[in-house]
Amino acid sequence: MRDLPGPPSAAGAHVSVRRRPHTSWRRVLGDSFRMFSPRREFRHPVMFCVYVLFLFLVVLTLFPYAFPDVARGYDPGYYLSVTVILFFTVWFANLGEAIAEAQGRAQADSLREIRSGVRARQILPDGQARWVACDVLRIGDTVEVQPGEPVPIDGDIVAGAALIDESMMTGESEAVVRESGGDKTSVLGGTRVLQGTVRMRVTAVRGESFLDRLIRLVEGQGREPTPNELALGVLLYAFTIALFTVVVTFVYLADFTNIVVVSVATIVALFVCLMPTTIGALLPAIGISGINRVARANVIAKSGKAVEAAGDLDVLILDKTGTITIGNRLAVQFVPAPGVPMPELLEAALLCSSVDETPEGKSIARLAARHGAPVRRVEIGSFKVLPFTAERRMSGIVLSDGSEVYKGSLQAMETYGAVLPLDLRRAGAEASRAGMTPLAISRQKKALGIVLLKDIVKPGIKDRIRELRTMGIRTVMCTGDNRLTAAAIARESGVDDFVAEAKPETKLTLIQAEKAEGRLVAMTGDGTNDAPALARADVGLSMNSGTSAAKEAGNMVDLDNDPTKIIEVVSIGKQLLITRGALTTFSITNDVAKYFAIIPAIFIAAGSAALPGIAFLNLMGLSDPELAILSALLFNAVVIPLLIPLAIAGVPFRPSSAIDLLRRNLVLYGVGGLVTAFVGIKLIYLLLAWLATLPIVQAAGVFVAHALPLGGL
Amino acid sequence: MFDLEALWGVGLVLVAALAAAPFFGDYLARVYTNRPAFGDALLGPVERGIYRLLGTSPRRSMPAREYMAAVLLVNGALWAFLFWFFLQQGTLPLDPTRVPNMSWDLAFHSAASFTTNTDFTHFTNETQISEGALTIAWPLALFLSPATGLAVFAAMVRGFVRRDGTLGNFYVDLVRTMSRVLLPLSFVGALLFVAMGVPETFRATVLAHPILGGTQSILLGPVASFQSISLLGTNGGGFYSANMASPLANPSAVSNLFGTFLMLLLPLSAPFAFAGVVRRRNEAWPFVGTILIVLVVALALFLFYQAAANPALLGVPGLVQTVGYPVGQEVRFGLSGSSAFQVVSVYANVGANNMLIGAIAPGAQMVLFFGMFTQSTPGGAGTGFAMLLLFAVLAIFVGGLMVGRTPEYLGKKIETGHVKWSALALLVHPALILVPSVIAVALGFVRVDGATVAVSAHTFSGVLYEFTSESANNGSALSVASFNDSTPFFNVAGGIVMLLGRFVPIFAMLKIGEMFSRQRTLPPGPGTLRTASGTFTIYLTLFLIITSALLFLPVLAMGPLAQIL
Repeated sequence: MRDLPGPPSAAGAHVSVRRRPHTSWRRVLGDSFRMFSPRREFRHPVMFCVYVLFLFLVVLTLFPYAFPDVARGYDPGYYLSVTVILFFTVWFANLGEAIAEAQGRAQADSLREIRSGVRARQILPDGQARWVACDVLRIGDTVEVQPGEPVPIDGDIVAGAALIDESMMTGESEAVVRESGGDKTSVLGGTRVLQGTVRMRVTAVRGESFLDRLIRLVEGQGREPTPNELALGVLLYAFTIALFTVVVTFVYLADFTNIVVVSVATIVALFVCLMPTTIGALLPAIGISGINRVARANVIAKSGKAVEAAGDLDVLILDKTGTITIGNRLAVQFVPAPGVPMPELLEAALLCSSVDETPEGKSIARLAARHGAPVRRVEIGSFKVLPFTAERRMSGIVLSDGSEVYKGSLQAMETYGAVLPLDLRRAGAEASRAGMTPLAISRQKKALGIVLLKDIVKPGIKDRIRELRTMGIRTVMCTGDNRLTAAAIARESGVDDFVAEAKPETKLTLIQAEKAEGRLVAMTGDGTNDAPALARADVGLSMNSGTSAAKEAGNMVDLDNDPTKIIEVVSIGKQLLITRGALTTFSITNDVAKYFAIIPAIFIAAGSAALPGIAFLNLMGLSDPELAILSALLFNAVVIPLLIPLAIAGVPFRPSSAIDLLRRNLVLYGVGGLVTAFVGIKLIYLLLAWLATLPIVQAAGVFVAHALPLGGL
Repeated sequence: MFDLEALWGVGLVLVAALAAAPFFGDYLARVYTNRPAFGDALLGPVERGIYRLLGTSPRRSMPAREYMAAVLLVNGALWAFLFWFFLQQGTLPLDPTRVPNMSWDLAFHSAASFTTNTDFTHFTNETQISEGALTIAWPLALFLSPATGLAVFAAMVRGFVRRDGTLGNFYVDLVRTMSRVLLPLSFVGALLFVAMGVPETFRATVLAHPILGGTQSILLGPVASFQSISLLGTNGGGFYSANMASPLANPSAVSNLFGTFLMLLLPLSAPFAFAGVVRRRNEAWPFVGTILIVLVVALALFLFYQAAANPALLGVPGLVQTVGYPVGQEVRFGLSGSSAFQVVSVYANVGANNMLIGAIAPGAQMVLFFGMFTQSTPGGAGTGFAMLLLFAVLAIFVGGLMVGRTPEYLGKKIETGHVKWSALALLVHPALILVPSVIAVALGFVRVDGATVAVSAHTFSGVLYEFTSESANNGSALSVASFNDSTPFFNVAGGIVMLLGRFVPIFAMLKIGEMFSRQRTLPPGPGTLRTASGTFTIYLTLFLIITSALLFLPVLAMGPLAQIL
């Protein structure tokens, strides 16, 4: 079995830390042009309209006399300018999508590197081992991994324990222990075993592993539009159709009434300006980059829908241990029994805890040492460690002189036979009420005193819970502790509600109760018995260190095993929606300013003498009608690349109440959109007017006038 | 400038309507949710008898499709009856007036107009419509069309509180609207009009002997009751062609103000009725606020344009303009009185005139246009508020995204379906206005005495106003003398526009109501966008104004805007 042929890994890719993703600008540029293919453009209705109009204008600019009706008022320079600006409008939109995709792809590439060329040592049912390509592995197959080898695919350890380097997945440089049995059995394909040989059962086939999913997700492949995205798409589409009606009827009305004469290029410009191109262009980028942001936070979301659902959460169920508290109780205080001097208690505490490897034990030893416990040298082999057992419910040490030093719960101590003085018992009860855990320490069945252990709330968790509350999310803490302890922790951490003495199925009941009332619930979990609750929750964030069952059940996996990460996911989900709403508002209020540029221009171009009333619309004082229309159109185009960073990074999000957010974003993007457009169009107009005076521009104009239309007059 | 005394009166009317609206809205909510209400003991048995007669039961609740089918059945029957009546009106027995029968196209237009709560008339009451039509056929529509609108409103808002995917029973809503709302209120209204001097008689005409000699036959009839339901039910039209400018219909400043009050009563009560149905009192205020802001600004602008000097005459030596635009005004009520009536009439989609809209300042015309573009500030009985709800659905969708949650309203998530139907209902309006306008202009249907005329900005305003008024089911008209509107084209196109402008949005409203009714209600959480707030009110107002303006500014620029100096 040990003399197997074949190297452990063909590629020998030794990736210790995940490569920082970087964006290839050449590729982005190439992609942005490749996206001009009609099939790509067709997917985005609003931009597809612009695209079709662009093609239409290209033909019209080159061969106006093919359409004698349409080419009324043909002006080569003007038509060419409008066409060029339309080209840039479409290109900018492509660019936004290409950049977002490239960022995802860069992440995907670095992930793919981990995956490439791994083979596996499969253990056949008869115990034989053989090297196979990962592709042939099926769920349920058994694979053995030895030190130094990469884990070929996702699986659960069924035998053995190993130290595993997960840095390529999580960026966490400290190796983690995974072992059979318990809740830490799952290993991810692509990670590397550092020590120990394990056998694992395959839980995912190639192409369906977490790595594969992550790659697909960040690449935006098979990204389904979320319900909100669909609804927004419908709104934009409807708006475009309505504007189409408005603009087309305007042309005909203008034509047949002779109230104004409008050239085709102008009408195209008007339509494109009014269409919600800003949001239409950036919508794909917003969606892709939202997923990327989640991935960058080291969370694998199984769908974009789950991320948006996170933004909608009403209730968050948090485990006490590991999420709210650092997970270990720490010693905070010693209370000696009446008549017992403190040093005696400290010495006993140090004695029985120095061999206790549990975090609690270590913390007691640390505290005793800090209080100046007399250090006594004990020879190795001169004592016997009595570890904690379920029956004894105490742990301790037997020294060579035969004296027993124990620490354990007050109840266990009484069962053991040590008599606890009334004062000690009272102090213990008091501490319990305050949420602490009293442990009695005895020597030779004589109670020396108690040490108080306290659950330490994670630093910063209180602020995050407050943030959640401002976002309107209620937090519920779930713990197996008794009511008193739970209440104390709840008070300290600021959670809205808590469930004490929770059993494994409590979470599921809790989730079902909240959902029955129509609330959206999220929870975090890692154990197999969390799986039903994770599956039932609207957002179930499972820990990467958890069991495969838990990871399958949840709709997100946190690679960093940080349960508080859910808060980040909530923020990203909200940011995603806010970005869409904000840019829609921006698009709509922009339109107002564009109207004030284009409508007067149309009438001025038609000879304003007939309609002096229009002059008062010309707020910006744009006297040259063609330049005014070009300015509005150019503003419309330029705004897209300027907003790409915003679309990709998401609008700044500060947790605050819904009405505050509405007020803030209305002012920022509504009023802001209005002002920006007025100022922007005026500035572009001034720039264009200045450019028009340059000899070189004028020469170009003369050239264009000579060159166009093709086919001559 | 304008007469302040009358302006005080207008303010008083607004305050009175606002004071009455919460109580009346609460009553409406009781009527539409079958909660105990005033009049149960008396009307209950009668209504149950009618249900038995109709073969329906209040327990039978309809989904949107079935409700719509019932709406179409009743309204289709009404339309067919009117159509038949107008075709025969001159030859029907027991009718002494021997007016000519209507042509098929005029009958089509008139029947569509009355059925759809538009009451746009392409005929002259005094010479082209029979006494029977004026006292039986038309009044039937005056009751049934607002009853339909209110029933649809009730069905839609009940969607927020029902959970079974149904909306209620149309026939029950119709009967209860008649028995509890329209009949008693219009009766009281008619009595008050009579007290103010409006005629109410079955005598058809009286002969008068004017001082200039000769004789004049003056049309009489149940003017007070006609007018009461015409204004209360946001129908519009009038017993006389001159509507509320006729001294017989509107004898005094008091009757003018009372008419204004009647027009506002149902539309302003609707938000409170809605709040009553969903049992959240404060939810009425964003809508009331939006309506009031738009209405008051509109009235102020209207007065501003009407009081300003005519710029075209500014250069005339020796001409002092102190009275603004007196042309087309009902001078008996002064600028304020007639303006208030006219603005409210158009904004509440009544469409009764007491001004000659074709003659007023272009800026003032534009103000009227805007009211018909929104159709919802406050809009007609029932449907106006339902339309405002559709605006709110879209506003909440965009606004909800901006607070970072899937948008929801009163615990109902706004999803693709809601957006789709709201957008359809709101966007069908510009299409119904613009497409026929283009056809009319492009194909030379804008004619005077059979000859196609050159379309000036003023004439274009007339065409645009015609279809705007018809699509909004408004009924006011601007097109006096600039072109003939009673031609087969304008009759048929107008009729179709009115029918589509009425029933397409109604179907969308019912659909959305059904979607709400099917959805579970989510409990309000601290993260939910509070809609009963000043911020939301202002947001809704701006959303409404900007989206309406974006769609209509280009055409406005060619019509009234082009004429403003």
